[in-house]
Amino acid sequence: MGKETKKGTKGPNSKYITRTKAIRKLQISLNDFRRLCILKGIVPREPPSRKKANHGNSAPTSFYHIKDIAFLAHEPVIQKLRDHKIFLRRMSRAMGKQEWGRAKALEENRPTYKLDHIVKERYPTFIDAIRDLDDAICCVVLGASLSQHRRIPKADLEDCARLSAEWQLYVTHTRALKKTFLSIKGIYYQAEVMGETVTWVAPYQFMQKIPMDVDFRVMRSFLEFYKTLLGFAFYKLYSDAGLVYPPPLDLKKDAMGGGVDAYRLQPVGGPTSSMDVDAKVNGNKKKKVDLGDGKVLTSKQVQKTIAAMEVEDEEEEGEASAPLDDALPSTEEFIPQPSKTSATDPSSSNLITLHALANLPTSTSRSTKIFEPYVFFISRESPRHILEFVVKSFGGVVGWPITCGSGSPIENEDDERVTHVIIDRPLPDPMSEVDKERRRKKKYVQPQWVVDCVNAGKILLENAYAQGKTLPPHLSPFNAEGDGAYDPLAPEEDEDFNMAPPQPEEKSKKRHRRGKKAAAAAAATAAALQVSNPTDADAVRKAELEAERLGIEPAEFDKVLEKAAATNQGGEEGESEGASEENMAKMLLSSKKRKLYNLMKRTNARKEDEKVRLQQKKIEIAKQKKRTGV
Amino acid sequence: MGEGLKWERKPGSYPEPKIIKSTITGEPKKVYPPIEPEYDSDSSTEEDPNRVGRIPMHWYDDLPHIGYDINGKRILRPAKGDELDKFLAATEDPTSWMSGFDHTSQKDTQLTSQELDLIRRLQDAEVPDASYNPYEDTVEWFTGEGKQEIMPLTARPEPKSRWQPSKWEKQKILKIVRLIRAGRIVPNKPKSKEPQWYSLWSTEAETRRPPPLTAPKVPLPKHAESYNPPEEYLPDQEETEKYDDLSDEDKVKTYLPKKYDSLRHVPAYEHFIHERQNRLLDLYLAPRIRRVKLNINPDSMLPSLPSPQSLRPFPVFEALKMSGGGNSRARCVSVSPDGVWTVSGDEDGIVRLWETFVGREAARWKLGKRVGAVEWCPRKDVSYFLVGVEDEVFAFMPPYLPPAVESATLDVLVPRNPPQPIGEQTDKSVKWSQESISFKQSASTFSAPLIVVGLPPGAGMPKQITFHRRGDYFATVSSAEGHNAIWIHQLSKRHSQSPFKKIKGMIQRVLFHPNKPHFFVATQRYVSIYDLSAQKLLKTLYTGSRWISSMDIHPTGDHLIVGGYDKKLMWFDLDLGNKPYKVLRYHTKAIRSVAFSPTYPLFASSSDDGTIQIFHARVYSDLMTDALIVPLKVLRGHAITDGLGVLELRFTAGLGTCWLVSAGADGEVRVWCN
Repeated sequence: MGKETKKGTKGPNSKYITRTKAIRKLQISLNDFRRLCILKGIVPREPPSRKKANHGNSAPTSFYHIKDIAFLAHEPVIQKLRDHKIFLRRMSRAMGKQEWGRAKALEENRPTYKLDHIVKERYPTFIDAIRDLDDAICCVVLGASLSQHRRIPKADLEDCARLSAEWQLYVTHTRALKKTFLSIKGIYYQAEVMGETVTWVAPYQFMQKIPMDVDFRVMRSFLEFYKTLLGFAFYKLYSDAGLVYPPPLDLKKDAMGGGVDAYRLQPVGGPTSSMDVDAKVNGNKKKKVDLGDGKVLTSKQVQKTIAAMEVEDEEEEGEASAPLDDALPSTEEFIPQPSKTSATDPSSSNLITLHALANLPTSTSRSTKIFEPYVFFISRESPRHILEFVVKSFGGVVGWPITCGSGSPIENEDDERVTHVIIDRPLPDPMSEVDKERRRKKKYVQPQWVVDCVNAGKILLENAYAQGKTLPPHLSPFNAEGDGAYDPLAPEEDEDFNMAPPQPEEKSKKRHRRGKKAAAAAAATAAALQVSNPTDADAVRKAELEAERLGIEPAEFDKVLEKAAATNQGGEEGESEGASEENMAKMLLSSKKRKLYNLMKRTNARKEDEKVRLQQKKIEIAKQKKRTGV
Repeated sequence: MGEGLKWERKPGSYPEPKIIKSTITGEPKKVYPPIEPEYDSDSSTEEDPNRVGRIPMHWYDDLPHIGYDINGKRILRPAKGDELDKFLAATEDPTSWMSGFDHTSQKDTQLTSQELDLIRRLQDAEVPDASYNPYEDTVEWFTGEGKQEIMPLTARPEPKSRWQPSKWEKQKILKIVRLIRAGRIVPNKPKSKEPQWYSLWSTEAETRRPPPLTAPKVPLPKHAESYNPPEEYLPDQEETEKYDDLSDEDKVKTYLPKKYDSLRHVPAYEHFIHERQNRLLDLYLAPRIRRVKLNINPDSMLPSLPSPQSLRPFPVFEALKMSGGGNSRARCVSVSPDGVWTVSGDEDGIVRLWETFVGREAARWKLGKRVGAVEWCPRKDVSYFLVGVEDEVFAFMPPYLPPAVESATLDVLVPRNPPQPIGEQTDKSVKWSQESISFKQSASTFSAPLIVVGLPPGAGMPKQITFHRRGDYFATVSSAEGHNAIWIHQLSKRHSQSPFKKIKGMIQRVLFHPNKPHFFVATQRYVSIYDLSAQKLLKTLYTGSRWISSMDIHPTGDHLIVGGYDKKLMWFDLDLGNKPYKVLRYHTKAIRSVAFSPTYPLFASSSDDGTIQIFHARVYSDLMTDALIVPLKVLRGHAITDGLGVLELRFTAGLGTCWLVSAGADGEVRVWCN
C-alpha cells in the first residue's frame, strides 16, 4: 500500500492559489502585487474547478498558477519594490526629523529599477513586440491627449506626447499607414509594420473629462511598462529605418505649436539632415533651381547631395518613392561616416541583409503615394492633427494657417502650389467673386474625402465631397465580416425581388406574411407577375388586375403564375423535408455537439435577421425619399 | 505706648525715631510717632474706595446698589452716562483712551503709566517686568584665570575611550579605504550614463519560460460606429428607447449609432477613458484561455446519413384508427405472427381483437379486471394469445381460425390428457387450470379462457408477458417485489418456476434471447444477462438510464435497445461491452416502449410526448462495422391524455408488410403503414 496523500495536494486543482495567498507568499502589498502582475504580464488563471482549487470554498476569487507566482518571486524588480518601501519609510523619517542632509543622501540613492529584461522576457523576438503594440500605442495616444490633472504626473503626460509623436513620425516616414476611420469614438488608424497590422484609436482633440471612478494607478503601471516597450521598439524601428532615436526636439517649433513637426528625423551618421517639409515641397518640383524660400541651389550642394545619396543608397532604395531631398544636408559640414550602431545592429549596417529587405516598408505600392502629386491646405476649422498625419503618410504636402501652429510650409490658401483646400464649413452666402475664383482654381473638399481616398486606395471624385454638399456615408474599412454580412454598398436590386424572402430558412408563417406583402408591392410595378405566394387568392387577384392595367396578356400572366406556384410549392416542400431531415440528423449528435450546433444556428440566424432588418430599412428609407422627393 | 513721648514735627521731613528702653524686655527700641491723618496726608485726600470685596458683581445686577461698605451701608451704583455722554467723554477727554471699565467699582478707571507700560510689554511679547535685563553679562564662575575647577564632580575614573582610538571604527574605515583603493567605491561618482535605449533584440532571448498568452485584440469598429453611417444603421425611436432602458451592464454596445453632417460637429466621446480603462483591466484581470473558435458551417457537424427515401419501406402514415369507444387507456397491444390479428387490452378489462388490415373489431372479451399485458404466441402453426390480468394469466384462442390451426391450438391448450406436473419441480404456488370443455364448437371456444394460470397471491398484475421463440416457454413480469416478480412458465408441461430465489430491486422487463438460452432481466438501472442452462450471470449492462421502461432485442440477438423514463434510448452491441454503443435522446418525454421490426432493419420508440420515432438500424455481420442508425420519421397522431402518450407499440410481420401498431393512452389503437 502506497503512502496516503493528503487531500488537495495532488491533481490539477492543487496548482492554483488565490490572490490573497499569493500576496502573502510574496510578502508585498496588494498594490505592488498588481503592479508587478501588470509589468510581468501575469494574469489570473481559471482552475478546472474553482471550488476544488479553493478547498471547498466557492466564494468569488481570482486564482493564480503557483508557477506564475514562483516566477514573480524570482523577479529582481520585486526586491526593488521592497527597497522602495524602505526608502519611503527612511525618507519620511528624515523629513520628519528635519535631517535634510540625510534626506538628500537618501534621495541621491533612491532605488530605481529598469524594465528592459521584462520587455525582453515578454517579447522574446521583435515581431512579438510589434504584435502587441496596439494597446501600448492606444494608451500613449490617450495620454498625449490628456490635459494636466492632479492624478496624473506631468512627466508621464509629456512622455506620452513624445512617444505618440515619435510613432506618428515613424509611420509617416515609412508610409506605413493603411487605413483610417472617423468614428464617433475617435479616429482609428491602422498601420502595417513588418507585416503586422497595428491599430490604434486617437480621441478627437477636446478637453477630456476625466471620470472620478478611473483608477489611475493601474493606468500608470501600464504606462510604465508601455513606455519602456515603446522606447525599445521605436529604437529598433528607427534604427532599421536608418534614423536616430530618439529624434531631437526643436524646442522653438514645439513652443510655437509645431506638434509632431517639432521633432526632426535625423539619419544615422548625419549630424542634422533636414527632413522637414520645406525640402519635400521643393522635392515636388525638382526642375526648379530656385528653392521655395529664396535659396539658390549651388553645384556644391548638389555634389554633397549626391555623396550623401551614395552613402544612404541602401536606405533609400527601399523607398524609391520618397523624395530624394529627404537626405539633403542642410549644413555644410556633412561627413559621411559609418553608422555607430552597425557593430551591434546588423540591420542598420551598409550591407543589405535578407532581414533588412524583408523589413523594408512596402511603400512602392501605388496606394501609399496617392497624395503625392497634390498639395493640401487645411483650413483652420478642419482638424490639423488628423489630416496632416494622414496626408503626409500618403505622400502629400500639407499647409495650414499660422493660427493652427507654426512650421507650415504654405501659409496662404491662395498659394499657387495648393491643389486642394480641406474645408469643413458651409459655403459662403453670397459667394464673392474671390471665392468663385478660388473654387475655379482649386478643389475645395471636406475632410472625409481625404479619409475615404485613403481607404479606397485611390483618388475619389471630389464632387461628392465638395464644400457644403451632403456627404456620402463614411464606411468602416474594417468591416469585413465575411461574405454573408450586410453590405451597405450592395447595389439596390429590383425592389420586388428584394422583398421576396431573402433566406429559405425562414419560418413558413413569416414567409406567408411577407409573401402577401410582396404581392401587394408587386402590384405596383410592371414586375407584378412575381407573386411569391400564388395560393393567396387575394394577392393573385390584385396582381392580375394590375397586370391587366399594365396591358400584360392574361396567358402570359397565367404562365408566370404557374411558374411561381411551382417554385413556391417545390421550395416549400423541399424546405420542410430538408428541415425535418436536419432535425432527424441532429438527434444523432451528442448532447455537447447538439448544444454547439444549436448555438451556431442561433448565432447565424441572428446575424441573418440583422442583415434582413438593415436591408429592409434601407429599402424603406429609399422609398420614403422617393416619395418625399416626388 | 509712645503716648508720653513728644515729637517735634518738621514739615517736609520724616520724623526721627526715638530710642527708648522697652518696659517689657528692657532692651532699647525705636519708637516712631503715630501718623496723624491730616488733610495733606495721603489717605485723607483719597475718596473712600469701594470696598465691596471680590464678589461676582452680577449679584447686584438688578439692584440699585453694588454692595455694602464697612458700616453695612449700601454703596449705590455710580451714575452711568448714556451713549452720548460716553461719546462726549471719548472725544473731549484726552485721557479717555487710557481708561477702562472697572467691574468692582462699576465705573471707568484711568490706567496708570506703569499699567500701560505692562500692557505694551505683554503685547510685544517682552518680559513684563521692566527691571529685568535678559542680556546681562555672563559671569565666569569656573573659567578664566584662577577660577579653574580643581576637584572633579564625580569620583568615577575617566573611561578609556576618551583618549584611546576605537578599534572597530578603525577596522570599518580600513575596509572602506581598501574598497576605495580597489576601485570598488568611487566617491562622488557621477551617475552612470548608459544609453537608455539600445538594441534589445540583437541578442537571443534566454527562453526560460514560454511567454504569456497574448491577449485578444480589441474588435475593430464596424460601419455603425462611423460618424456618418449609412442611414439604415441609425436607430429609430423605439430602438433608442429600448437602448436607454437597458442598464449599463446589459448593453451590448456602448454607443448608439449617430450621424453628424460634418466632422466639425463630432463631439468628444465621453466614455473614451472608461473604455481604455476597461481594456487595461481586462488585460491584467481576465484569465486567458485559448479557445478554438469554430468557423464552420453548422450543417457540416451533422453526420452524413443516407436519405430516408432510400431506406424505404418504413411506416410513414396512419392507416387505421381503431377505437374501442371507451375512455380507458389502451394499455397493451400485440400482433399475431402472421400480422392479420391485433389484440389490445385496456384498463377497463376489455380485450379486443382487431383485424389489422381493415380495423374491424372481431371479438371482445370482458374480463372485469385490469389488463396488464397481452402477448401473441410466436408459433405459426397454432394461434392463441395470453392476457395478463391481476394475479392471473389467461390463454385465449381467437375466432375464425382455419380448422387445422384451430385443432392444433386446442391440442396445445386443452390436450386430451393434460400433462401431469412433475411433482418436485412444480411450484405449488402457481396453479394451472384448464377448461374442461375440450373440443367444443369453435363458436364458443374463444369466449372463455382455455387456460388460466393463477399466479401466487401477492404477485400483482403481470405487466409484461414474453414468449420464448419456440412458443413453449413464456415469462411473466409482475409488479411484485422479490422472487414473485418473474415467473417462467412452460405450457407443454403446465409447469412454472421462479428463476431467481432472491432478486435485488424492481424488475422492469425480461426477454428471451432469440437463439441462445439466455435471459435478459432489466432492473431499474441495469440489464443482467443470465445463462439459463448454466444457471449463471453472464453480464450486466450499465445503461446509464435512471429508470428503464422498456427493452427489445434485435432478431439476430446481438443488439439490444433499452428505453428509459428519462427520455434516453440506449443501443447496446452485446459483443462490445457493458456500456451502450449509442445513447440517443430525442423524445421530449419518457420513453414508454421500444420495438424492433422482426423482418425489416427498423426499430421504433414511443413516448409520452405522443410521438413514435422510427429508425433505420442496419447491423452488419462483420464485427468491424458499427451499426448504422438513421432516424427516419416521427409519427404523430396519438393524443396525450393525463400526461401519457403512446403506451405500447409493435411491428407486424408477415405478408411483406412493415406496419406498426400502437396503443395510446387516448384509448386508440392505430396502425401505421408504409
